Amino acid sequence: MAQIVLKDVVKKFGAHVAVKGVNLQVRDSEFLIMVGPSGCGKTTTLNMISGLERPTSGEIAIGGRVVNDLEPGERGLGMVFQDLALFPHLTVYENIAFGLRVKKVAEREVDSRVRAAAEAMHISPLLAKRPAQCSGGESQRVALARTIVTNPAVFLMDEPLSSLDAKLRVDMRTELKRLHARLKATFVYVTHDQAEAMTMADRIVVMSGGVVEQVGEPLEIYRKPASQFVAGFFGTPTMNFLSGKIESANGGLVFQASNLRQRLAASLPSGLAGRNVVLGVRSEHVTVGANGGTPGKVQLIEPLGAESLVFFEFGGATPLVAKIDPERSLDTGDNLTFDFDPAGCHLFDADTGARLN
Amino acid sequence: MSEARIAVPESAPAGGSSRRRLRDWLAQERVFRLIPFVLVEVVFLFVIIIPFLLMVYISFLKWRANRPFEQAFLSGFGNYEQVLTAPGFWSALGHTFYFAGCAVVLELVIGFVLAMFVSRTVRARGLYITIFLVPMMIVPVVVGYNFTMLYIDSGPINQLLAPFLEPLGIDPRIRWLSDPAAAQWAVILADVWQWTSLTFLIFLSGFSALPKQLINAARVMGATAWQIFWRVELPLLKPAIVIAVVIRSMEALKIFDPVVLLTAGGPGTSTQTIAFYLWEQVWVFNKFSFGAAASILLLIIFATLIFFGIYLLVRQSAAVAQQRAP
Ligand SMILES: Nc1ncnc2c1ncn2[C@@H]1O[C@H](COP(=O)(O)OP(=O)(O)O)[C@@H](O)[C@H]1O
Ligand SMILES: [Mg+2]
Repeated sequence: MAQIVLKDVVKKFGAHVAVKGVNLQVRDSEFLIMVGPSGCGKTTTLNMISGLERPTSGEIAIGGRVVNDLEPGERGLGMVFQDLALFPHLTVYENIAFGLRVKKVAEREVDSRVRAAAEAMHISPLLAKRPAQCSGGESQRVALARTIVTNPAVFLMDEPLSSLDAKLRVDMRTELKRLHARLKATFVYVTHDQAEAMTMADRIVVMSGGVVEQVGEPLEIYRKPASQFVAGFFGTPTMNFLSGKIESANGGLVFQASNLRQRLAASLPSGLAGRNVVLGVRSEHVTVGANGGTPGKVQLIEPLGAESLVFFEFGGATPLVAKIDPERSLDTGDNLTFDFDPAGCHLFDADTGARLN
Repeated sequence: MSEARIAVPESAPAGGSSRRRLRDWLAQERVFRLIPFVLVEVVFLFVIIIPFLLMVYISFLKWRANRPFEQAFLSGFGNYEQVLTAPGFWSALGHTFYFAGCAVVLELVIGFVLAMFVSRTVRARGLYITIFLVPMMIVPVVVGYNFTMLYIDSGPINQLLAPFLEPLGIDPRIRWLSDPAAAQWAVILADVWQWTSLTFLIFLSGFSALPKQLINAARVMGATAWQIFWRVELPLLKPAIVIAVVIRSMEALKIFDPVVLLTAGGPGTSTQTIAFYLWEQVWVFNKFSFGAAASILLLIIFATLIFFGIYLLVRQSAAVAQQRAP
C-alpha cells in the first residue's frame, strides 16, 4: 500500500517560490508522470516526496503516514536520478548492494538479492565492471537494478532517460512499463518530454510555473486540455491557436477572427456569445479542401510518411498546420480552402487561458 | 632538438647572400617552430646540467672553500664514505623524516577536518576560507620570528596551556626552544601552523567537487551521515588525499626556515634537519666537496621517494580519468 498524498505543498528558495501549493493524490501502484517545461518545479516536488528537500509548508503522506519529518532513507522509497548517480568508485555489484549494505543485511542475502536484481535487469555479465566501463543503456539498467534490489513500494524517477540517445530512450520506455507491470509498485516519474509522458503514464500531472495545471489520463489530457498551456504542450505538431470572438448566428455560435469565420459545436452554452477567446484546433481536425472553406496558401509541406503536414497562411497572425493524406497532390504556393471540425475545436479564455467548452 | 642542429648549413658562402640564406633558413616553418625549444635547452643546459655536472665533479674532490680551488685533489669516493659514516648526517636525516612525518600527518588531519567543517557551513564561508588561508600567505621568515616570540618560556603559548597542564601536575613552563624534545615539536608546530592552509585548500576543493547527487542517492538508500562519509565521500576524496600527501611530503623533507629561525639546529643537534645540516657543513664549515657528495646521496634518496610519490599520483589520476570517462 503506497499511495502518496500532497496537501498544499509549497517550496520557497529564499524569495523565489518554486512550488506554489500543490495538491496531488498518487494512487497505489499507479504510474504517474509529472511533466512540464524546464524550471516548473517538477524536480523540487519529487525531492520533497523523497525527503531531499523539506517543504516550506504543507503535508506529504506516503502510505497513510505523514513523512514530513522523516529522513529520505526512512521513507521506504527508491530513486533513479537524472544523471543516474552511480558510485564511480564501486563495481556494479557493490553499487547494487549499497542499499542493502548500509542496512546491514546479511552477506548471503545481499549476494542472492544483488544477483536476482541483476538477472531481472539483464546485467549479470556486468557485475564486476565499474560504472565508467558501462554504456549509457547499461548504466541505466544498473541504476534500475540498484533501486529494485531494496523492494521499495515507491519508485521516484527524475528524467532517468534524458542521458540516452533517441532510439534507446524509446526502447527503455517499453522496458520501464514492463518493470512497472511486474513490480506493481507506485511510480512517480518526472520528465519534460510530453511524448514520454503520453506513452508510459497511467495518469499525467501537467505542471507549469510551480502549479499543477491538470491531472488526468493521457488521452483525456490530449482530448480535453484544461488550459491553453496544456493544449499547446501536448501533441506534435503544436495545436493551432487563433484569437477571436464568439458571436451568435442563426441559433448557433460562431468563432469570428479577422478573416476567418468558424461554425462551433451546437452543444456549446449560448452564454459564451460575446467572449474574447482563443480557439485551438489540432492539425488532424483541420480539413483541407472543404467546400465553402476559408481560402489559404501553402507555405511548406512536411512529409512524415504515413501522413504529411501542410503549413499554410490565410491572412491571420500565424500560419496554420494541417495533417493530410500524403497522396494529396499539394505543392508549395498552391491555393487551398480549409475548415475546422467543430468537435475538434477547443475554446480558451483569452485572459486566463482556462478551457471554456 | 638535434634536427635543428643537423639542419644548420655546414658552411655558408660569405657576404650578403649568406645573410639572406640564414634569414630564409630561419623563416622556414620547421625551423621557426624549434626556436623556443633551443632557448629552453640553453637555459636548461646552463641552469641545470652544468651546475649539476660541476657538483658531481666537486663531490669527487677534496676541497674546502678556505683553500684555493687549484689545490683541490681528486679523492674518489672519499667524500661519500665520509658522509655515510658521519653521525650528523644520519641523525639529521632521522630528524627530517621525523619532522616531516609528524608535520604532514598533522597537516593532513587538521586540514581535512577544517575543510570538512567549512564545506558544510553555509554562512560566512568566505570569511573562514580567508582566515584559514592567511598562514600560507605569510613569508616563512616572519612566521619564524613570530613563533620565537610565542615560544618564550613565559610567552602566550605557555600561558594558554597552563590552565590545562597545571591540574595534571605538569610544569606549565615548557622550555620550547631549549628542551630537546620540546624544540623538535616547536619546529613541527611552526611548520604545521604555516602549511595546514595548503592541505585545507586542497581538501576544500576536493569537498566542493564531490557530486551532490551521489550523496543524495546514498541518503535515499538509507545511509547514515557516518556511512556516507566512509563509503562515498572518503573514497571519492582519495585523489585529493594523495595529492596533499605527495606535495606536502616533498616540501616537508626540505624543512629549513623554522629550524634556522627558531632553534638554529639546537639544543645540541636535536633539531638539525638535513637541509640545515648541509647548509651548516657547506657555508659554516666550508666543506664544499662533502656537501656536494651529501647532496648527491640525498638526491638519490629523495628522488626514489618522489618517483614513488609521482607514481602514486599518476596511477590515481589515471583511475580518476577512467571514472569520469563517459
Ligand atoms: N536549491 C535551489 N536553490 C534555489 N533555487 C532553486 C533550487 N532548486 C531549484 N530552484 C529553482 O526552483 C525552480 C524549479 O526548479 P526545478 O524543480 O529543478 O525545475 P524542473 O525540475 O521542473 O526543471 C527553478 O526556477 C529553479 O531555478
Ligand atoms: Mg528537473
